[in-house]
Amino acid sequence: MTTPSKIDSPTLWDSKEMQRRTARRYRQERIFRAAGLGAVAISALFLVVLLGNIISQGTGGFFQTYIETEVELPVKVLGDPRTMTPEEFANSVRRANMLGLVAKSLEETFPEVTSRSEKRALIKIFSTGVRGQLAQFVTENPNVVGTRQKLWLLASDDIDQVVKGNIDTETDEGDRRVSDRELAWLQKLEDAGRVDVKFHTTFLTSGDSRNPEMAGVWGAVVGSALTLFVTLILAFPVGVLTAIYLEEFAPQNRFTDFLEININNLAAVPSIVFGLLGLAVFIGTMHLPRSAPLVGGFTLALMTLPTIIIASRAAIKAVPPSIRDAARGLGASPMQVIFHHVLPLAMPGILTGTIIGMAQALGETAPLLMIGMVAFIVDIPSGITGAATALPVQVYLWADSPERAFAEKTSAAIMVLLFFLIMMNAVAIKLRQKFERKW
Amino acid sequence: MTSSAISVIILLLSLAAFAAGRQRSLATVGGRRSDLHSLPRHYGYFAASLVILPSTLILVLWLTFGDFVLERMTMNSIPEGAVATEGVEDHLVLNRVRIAVDQGDRVEKDPTILAAAKFYREAHGEAVWVTFAAALLAGLAGLAFALKATSPEFRARNKVETIMRVVLIACSTLAVLTTVGIVASLLFESLRFFQQVPISEFLFGLKWSPQTALRADQVGSSGAFGAVPLFAGTLLISLLAMAVAGPIGLLAAIYLTQYASGRVRAVAKPALEILAGVPTVVYGFFAALTIAPLFRDMGLSVGLDIASESALAAGVVMGIMIIPFVSSLSDDAITAVPRSLSDGSLALGATPSETIRKVILPAALPGIVGAFLLAVSRAVGETMIVVMAAGMQPNLTANPFEAVTTVTVQIVALLTGDQEFDSAKTLSAFALGLVLFVVTLFFNMIAIRVVRKYREIYD
Amino acid sequence: MKKYLLGTIAALAFIGSTGAHAQSRDQIRIVGSSTVFPFSTAVAEEFGRTTNFKAPIVESTGSGGGLKLFCGGVGTAHPDITNSSRRIKQSEVDMCAANGVSEIVEMKIGFDGIVMAAAKTSPSMTLALHHIYLALAAQVPAPGTDGGEGHLIPNPFKRWNEIDPSLPNEEIVVLGPPPTSGTRDAFVELALEVGCDFFKGNAALKKSNENKHKQVCQTVREDGAYVEAGENDNLIVQKLQADGRAVGVFGYSFLDQNSDVLQAFPVAKDDAEAVEPTFEAISSGDYPVSRSLYVYVKKAHVGVVPGIKEFLTEFTSEATWGDMGYLADRGLIPLPEDERATVAEDVAALKPLSLK
Repeated sequence: MTTPSKIDSPTLWDSKEMQRRTARRYRQERIFRAAGLGAVAISALFLVVLLGNIISQGTGGFFQTYIETEVELPVKVLGDPRTMTPEEFANSVRRANMLGLVAKSLEETFPEVTSRSEKRALIKIFSTGVRGQLAQFVTENPNVVGTRQKLWLLASDDIDQVVKGNIDTETDEGDRRVSDRELAWLQKLEDAGRVDVKFHTTFLTSGDSRNPEMAGVWGAVVGSALTLFVTLILAFPVGVLTAIYLEEFAPQNRFTDFLEININNLAAVPSIVFGLLGLAVFIGTMHLPRSAPLVGGFTLALMTLPTIIIASRAAIKAVPPSIRDAARGLGASPMQVIFHHVLPLAMPGILTGTIIGMAQALGETAPLLMIGMVAFIVDIPSGITGAATALPVQVYLWADSPERAFAEKTSAAIMVLLFFLIMMNAVAIKLRQKFERKW
Repeated sequence: MTSSAISVIILLLSLAAFAAGRQRSLATVGGRRSDLHSLPRHYGYFAASLVILPSTLILVLWLTFGDFVLERMTMNSIPEGAVATEGVEDHLVLNRVRIAVDQGDRVEKDPTILAAAKFYREAHGEAVWVTFAAALLAGLAGLAFALKATSPEFRARNKVETIMRVVLIACSTLAVLTTVGIVASLLFESLRFFQQVPISEFLFGLKWSPQTALRADQVGSSGAFGAVPLFAGTLLISLLAMAVAGPIGLLAAIYLTQYASGRVRAVAKPALEILAGVPTVVYGFFAALTIAPLFRDMGLSVGLDIASESALAAGVVMGIMIIPFVSSLSDDAITAVPRSLSDGSLALGATPSETIRKVILPAALPGIVGAFLLAVSRAVGETMIVVMAAGMQPNLTANPFEAVTTVTVQIVALLTGDQEFDSAKTLSAFALGLVLFVVTLFFNMIAIRVVRKYREIYD
Repeated sequence: MKKYLLGTIAALAFIGSTGAHAQSRDQIRIVGSSTVFPFSTAVAEEFGRTTNFKAPIVESTGSGGGLKLFCGGVGTAHPDITNSSRRIKQSEVDMCAANGVSEIVEMKIGFDGIVMAAAKTSPSMTLALHHIYLALAAQVPAPGTDGGEGHLIPNPFKRWNEIDPSLPNEEIVVLGPPPTSGTRDAFVELALEVGCDFFKGNAALKKSNENKHKQVCQTVREDGAYVEAGENDNLIVQKLQADGRAVGVFGYSFLDQNSDVLQAFPVAKDDAEAVEPTFEAISSGDYPVSRSLYVYVKKAHVGVVPGIKEFLTEFTSEATWGDMGYLADRGLIPLPEDERATVAEDVAALKPLSLK
């Protein structure tokens, strides 16, 4: 069946054919629209899954299992605080066999444990960090020596994982890290109400550790802060001054063109290439110390420089010419026009761009791997020339650690990292909202 | 007296110079400002910069070379053979001296070292004073010159502005220096690499196995540096990433610019920005621990053998990462299409989707192509996701279920740890870096070209 | 103008703080084997907590890479201590000496077994050393021959059961460490070479043409069946869990940490009974692929970088490396008691190493 073409006659809108066609076009319209909505929804879904995944895994990292224990603190073991100077006492406490004290108190709770190997297994339900925990407690409260104290002591990472439900206790005994015997002990303590999961400040205040229950992010946070400090000091002034030059003073010539193309290209260079540069130039040629925030800062500064320059140029360009004309009309020199009028007006935009650049630098890992900021460092870094790691590198290091409990520590460290990033971006957004002007 | 204290004093001096210069200029005209060529404060700035520049120069010189000279002096002060050096190099003794300087006799007991430490401390103290005096003198000389020059006719503002202009130019050249530094360091090390491995083998060789012998008596590692499997792996993962990010990013941009209500936009755009702001190491962790096992399990349930480090997992997660990149750049390109074009199309009875497909997209095409190219260059250079989620196996395959390795993964693998700058293994990382740099540069250049061309149509 | 002043102040203060005077190094720097890494970091941490010294900085670079850095020279730019999962080689001692590192103190810290393991879900197998050789060497004896000159062919084996019908019908995929790793050196020496000599023709080569013997017995195939999985033994463990075909080669301590997800294969020497890699079998020497772990200290740095001696004391204390020490908890197999005493004494006296 063929329908004659009706080019010359007016369109028959209510013909069947036409209605079918319109229906098809509308259907296509709906499908297209749905696809667009779907794309947005998928992106949002990814975000939710990503963040949800991190948060659900990481929240546990801020908490740690503690076991209540009544510990005898005899003078004989710890030393007498009344006859010693505080420093001597601290040294004596540090050397004391704290685990022995804890073991003794466990003997009272578990009189049925008698064999040497069992006792050894029993003390393993506590973290080795108990030593430091007890030492700190005693040093800070010298008057507890000679008394019995009920204390909440840190449990080992395996016990902690059982209590948090991250280890499946139903599986075959050989297939898990915690034996049935240890589970029975844990059960007894739990029945007595002596096991509790508490907020774990150590995670936020201490440096790295091989023991997940004692590991903290503070060392990495300080390392990141030192690195970013160097980056900011270097990249901000240089970036802003470059932007001023290019936007206001540079003559239109080959060199300026080259400069501009150059900066745009630098913005697209992969970060790992900057790491190679840092390795070859700062460490290889200039012999600056390896693993130091100084070198990390230099490297990241070169990386963020294009971002800051581009943002600053945009901000300077956004200041309307009328401002410049007015200032110049009143006799200001070009330099005065810039520094007295244009720059202050462009400052919010420049700062926003700088903060975003710094946030990028904070999340950057690859270049830091190249310059050796991936060592195991317990101490909190003290200066920009000492060895340090940074927050994202810490995430990378922990992600690779075999101990199961590091998985949640990694997620928790990511949460800390994201917190800082969100704070920085929030400041940038506030700044933009507060000072944004429509000319 | 530390160098920070000296900096503070220089600063105070320059403040004083500012005040002095200002006063002086006013004094020369008896307080009648209008007689001065420049504003009084310009004379102040001029004086201050003449103080800061020479004295900072001296301070920088001291910081760069001072310690070296002092060390030499200290080492010379130690009597020959007084320390049991036994052929051990000087800098070891020097570290002991430094520790003794820092910590006194807590660790160090050797009297010679302690004496040297004392010498160092004293010499350091003297040298700091000398530096301080020199900096002060230079500053004062600058000040004197500035004050002498100050007269009503003196064009202080122009001088200050010239100084400022020089500083501005100096800052802008740093960006160039960075590029020069990148190119030089990559090229220099790569050339050394190509002396050991022919460039044709590197670029076209099909086998990557950088197991060179580390010692003379180690056998069994011939070392093959054919980088094609790495390029192929990088390409595969980047294509997978684009397969995810391209359609989703573009459709999201279209929806957000053409259909979404203001409220949806207000929520969705920041959400996309968050996706862009998440550090790549987080994506890597997510890919390795969540996505890769998920894909593997999904594969097993339908009878597919998906490697744990499949290109698929790394590619998909990388795709998620660059969605916001594609969408925001495409967004810009679409919004830049003149309203009149779409209005015209709609007025002729086209549905919105027809308008988008037949009118807006073709018009925005150059911008979108540019966006895609930039996204590809981003994917090619991305490191952490592939380091954590892709493999080390240099497989030459197009099967996304298998493990492949990428250029960036190999750079990290080759350079973390062994840091000697002489083995072909280490140097090959720089050659890979050079390739990476050139390729991303190429994509970026093309992208900029395409976008420029498109601008010419409507401006 | 105030802003610019503030900026100048910050910049000057920064200049002032960077180079006040070149920094002395008061922190021990340790590099080397990823197998020893968990042990030395544990000691480093404990050392930092219980003494007035700063905790040492530990980097995992592989035994070979570590020794290379270590032998780079004396002075604060070079590490003080390197960990190694094999004994230092004469060539490395020479390299050290050439760079002025003349005196090295060797500290044997314990044993580690090199295990071949796969995920629990993979099929299990019982391997003999010559199976391992046949699976991983670049050249193997031609069918029906005993190897040796003229009887070698490039490795044709793609599946385990082609080597021996008792092995499963699975593709050969072995994830192992790269040449910078001591695990690799030890594995080549203890497994490949021994398995290689199982074939008489190969064994005869040792006398007739030592270089050829080395090449035949120590060259690992590079056709994709053996995959360099990087220095990081942890990564190998993670990869095994997901890839069912793959067999991993790594240190016993990693098996110990992951006993819930991995199964180790029993290994037999020649035609003897296969032995499971257990704590007891390794310390007794019954398990054929076991090795000693070492820590090397630059004597010239002792007394220069503070704390090295004290660190060694901490390392050699019973509470650390003894049968009940915390290193044993991390999977280190302690030395016998009398050997511990000798090593501790030598280390305390900083007795320099001599390989002869």
